[in-house]
Amino acid sequence: MNIVTITPTAIIVEPKGLDKLWSFRRRIIVPLAHVRGATFDPGANEEPKGLRAPGLAIPGKWSGTFHRDGDTSFWNVSTPARTVVIELTDERYDRLVLTVAEPRAIVDQVNGALQAR
Amino acid sequence: MGRNRSFDEAEVVALCAAAFRTNGYEGTSIDDLVQATGLHRGSLYKAFGSKRGVFLLCLQQARATDAATDETTDLLLVALLEVAPRDAEIRSLTFDLLGTSTPPRTAQSLGQRLIDRALEPTVTATPKESA
Repeated sequence: MNIVTITPTAIIVEPKGLDKLWSFRRRIIVPLAHVRGATFDPGANEEPKGLRAPGLAIPGKWSGTFHRDGDTSFWNVSTPARTVVIELTDERYDRLVLTVAEPRAIVDQVNGALQAR
Repeated sequence: MGRNRSFDEAEVVALCAAAFRTNGYEGTSIDDLVQATGLHRGSLYKAFGSKRGVFLLCLQQARATDAATDETTDLLLVALLEVAPRDAEIRSLTFDLLGTSTPPRTAQSLGQRLIDRALEPTVTATPKESA
């Protein structure tokens, strides 16, 4: 699970509790200028995630940095029905795949913040 | 760094628009778009940023054709019903489409299309695979 906070200039992703440990990230801050959009995507969990380095991958839980087809993604997912994909540009990660408490609200907030910028 | 694109964006957008017209905006998952276009999920995200990004291009494509066909009207109805109330940019684009099409769309013509659409035989072009 992740806490996603949207400010007027950036989005801040904080893996909750022990997920900080599994994912090797305490906090990811991305300026809005580097965010392309957010999507509610329950099916994302089914995708092959690629090579993990570093992180945790056990059935039902993926946490950390994964590399696939030249893309670097940050995954911290556990509940497929609440998965949000945030596409980035010019960042360490090409994509963030996150389980959040209220996916639809987060998606609307991120996409709304991009328009308000 | 990713691979170079090797698909026709206009064609992919048209395929996605067909999925949105059939299943609605919320009802169309990224899995549906992956299936409709044959692209990988990662390629879709890389090309369009988000599902909203795809939908925006669908609307822009509809505006570019500049004709009030049933296809563009259906897409417009989906946009009005599901996305416009909570998305300012898409709202202004839909209103733009309402005004500029030839012949212009009216509340009357939109409502008529909604009723006609309900009476059309169901086109189950993209049956969900149970697998």
